Amino acid sequence: MMPELTASTGAPRIAAVEHPFGLTVGLPDDAGGQLAVLRATLQALAAISELGDVVDLQFEWNYDAELNTHPPQLPPIASYLRRHPWAFPRFFNRTPPEPTPFKTA
Amino acid sequence: MVDSYRFLDGVAKRVMRHWSGFRAVRPIPWTPLTKPLSQCTVALVSSAALALNSDRPFDIQIERLDPWFSDPSYRVLPRNTRTSEVQVCHLHINPGFTNQDLNCVMPLERLAELVGMGEVGGSAPSHYSYVGYTLRPEQLLHETVPSMIERMRRECVDAVVLVPV
Repeated sequence: MMPELTASTGAPRIAAVEHPFGLTVGLPDDAGGQLAVLRATLQALAAISELGDVVDLQFEWNYDAELNTHPPQLPPIASYLRRHPWAFPRFFNRTPPEPTPFKTA
Repeated sequence: MVDSYRFLDGVAKRVMRHWSGFRAVRPIPWTPLTKPLSQCTVALVSSAALALNSDRPFDIQIERLDPWFSDPSYRVLPRNTRTSEVQVCHLHINPGFTNQDLNCVMPLERLAELVGMGEVGGSAPSHYSYVGYTLRPEQLLHETVPSMIERMRRECVDAVVLVPV
């Protein structure tokens, strides 16, 4: 998915695959493709011996059809930033405001 | 080389590039794999906010009320969980793919196949999911993750594959 972002979190081993969001392991009902990705991921887990190493899995995403990987509705943070664009620097720098107390379900 | 930003554009690409420049605040943990995969019990963790239909769903109102935060809890999916038994509670992805085939983001059936072929020692009894989006990860990191780890230890998990979405 996003090996650079994952590496920034301090993951000890990373298997990188260039797949769209929501399709990390592969397309629906593509058992063969999914199996190949999972197998390669586990093989990378076993092979990586250096802390923080990244293995690029050799799978090409050549799916021609238009895939809608967007959520049905704009995520709340995106809606919020549209209404409050001055809050964007906080989002960009990952410095959210103090939480507002609320009740959970 | 895998392009981290291939499926992003505009502002999202800029943000992710910037976030990729942040560095972890603690040393990277390292535990060597001490036995072959064919003897390992593997657990899967998905950030797709998956919950069994029979379980309490993730509370999406938390994120709707505070867009910087999300439900910090986790859910357990047994190893034999099927697509029809799961709901997706993630507000940042198209749930349609997972609704059609859980294995797109939580490849339980594929893991079972690898176990059947002798390539993996076993699939843990429990697998896990949480909400991958939050800009306040403290509760996730200090409460949720330790709880998952404790359960994994009880189930003698040797290796964990985190599947991001």
